Amino acid sequence: MTRWFSLAALLLVLGALHAAAVSTAQTVVSGNITSGPASDASVVAAVPNATAVSIIERQGGWYHVRLASGQDGWLPMTSIRFNSGTTGTTQSTDWSSLFQSGRSGASGSTATTGVRGLNTGDIANAKPDIKAVESLDKWQAKSKEAKEFAAAVPLKSNDKGYLPEVKP
Amino acid sequence: MKRFAAVAAGLLLAGMPLASSADIDIGGLFNSIKQAFKPATQDEEIAIGRDAAATLLGASKPIDQAAVQDYVNKVGLWIALQSDRPDLPWHFAVVDSDDIDAFAAPGGFVFVTRGLLLHLHSEAELAGVLGHEISHVVLKHHLNALQKAARMDLAGQAAKVGLASKGYDSDLDQELMDKVSNATRNLYSKGLDKDDELAADRMGVVLATRAGYDPYGLLAVLQTLEAADPKSSKMQLLMATHPAPADRIAALSAAMGAGNIDRFGKQPDVQDRFEDVMKELVATAKSKAPEASTKK
Repeated sequence: MTRWFSLAALLLVLGALHAAAVSTAQTVVSGNITSGPASDASVVAAVPNATAVSIIERQGGWYHVRLASGQDGWLPMTSIRFNSGTTGTTQSTDWSSLFQSGRSGASGSTATTGVRGLNTGDIANAKPDIKAVESLDKWQAKSKEAKEFAAAVPLKSNDKGYLPEVKP
Repeated sequence: MKRFAAVAAGLLLAGMPLASSADIDIGGLFNSIKQAFKPATQDEEIAIGRDAAATLLGASKPIDQAAVQDYVNKVGLWIALQSDRPDLPWHFAVVDSDDIDAFAAPGGFVFVTRGLLLHLHSEAELAGVLGHEISHVVLKHHLNALQKAARMDLAGQAAKVGLASKGYDSDLDQELMDKVSNATRNLYSKGLDKDDELAADRMGVVLATRAGYDPYGLLAVLQTLEAADPKSSKMQLLMATHPAPADRIAALSAAMGAGNIDRFGKQPDVQDRFEDVMKELVATAKSKAPEASTKK
């Protein structure tokens, strides 16, 4: 009974947060929003630097954004910066908050229950755990499995060359 | 003659700090010089990597969720297969920390914290993160830095241990472990050179692209990190060991722009499959909750 209740509560939270996850950002350069995710798409509106936008989705190197006026269009990815405290890109769920609320239970009272840190001090004092390394073998994938896993999407491999360093 | 040799050795080793020039062991020094120029074989690299990985997992254990670990291993291996080192024994794992970070160790070990995984939005973003870590292994960044930090020839030590003794019970095993472990604690709490991180960003994007993913996943992750509070305890280790996200974004987007990566922009970001795994991770959060806080 309790378990059913927890599950129902979790599903409610999942639904609510999924709908609520909207990210806000600001432009970091002046430019134009365009009618599509391409540099040759028609211009919808000019946007000055530091314009507030909400992010609808990302497609490749472009964000679909909405202005305060309600107008929407596309901006190159690096022409915006997410506002601090947002969860980053787009339409997606805030998994981190969901995990925390799931862990602290239906009461949701202690968000920090069982939080496990990993800071420079933890690394500097780490004691080797060989058994943990050996335990990794059971999850190791075989090439054939990885290829089938990719084919299921399908993900098609290509021979894109390496990127030389370019000074920004 | 001996003195001349010592001076010559000193010049050769310029840049390698020595405790005192008064007590130089000439024979040992010459061995160090020879070995410093001898690259580790793949087997030696793997032996060193296992000890480095053991040290990292000593700080944070793999999570006990097979579905999540299997998934990360399949995504990771598929990307590693696109690299110049497809035949390493690649191992991937999500580790039990709410902080945001990822690690690579020589020989093909790649670890991602649960905290970082929960801040991602698609398989393409995960591919960008794993591509970055795989690139550190391919480029031998940690292997080289560990050897330098240990001020000794770990490869020679690893060769002595040999692959026969995997039980970690011999004195030689213990000696290698002590040396690798010390160097690991030092290196992974201070971080690699900034240029190594930027190089891993560039190669990571290419590996994810070759694997057929939307190439902009890593850039999106860096934008997420840019928006995170840099003073948050969740970001402490990452910020202490990596260039600022804004600097990485500037360097990476410049290289991606010049490299015409946009023609791969319509490759899939594979959100559905990623979300199925994340739902599973979230649904088991309660039952897998740790009994007590280990936060220091």
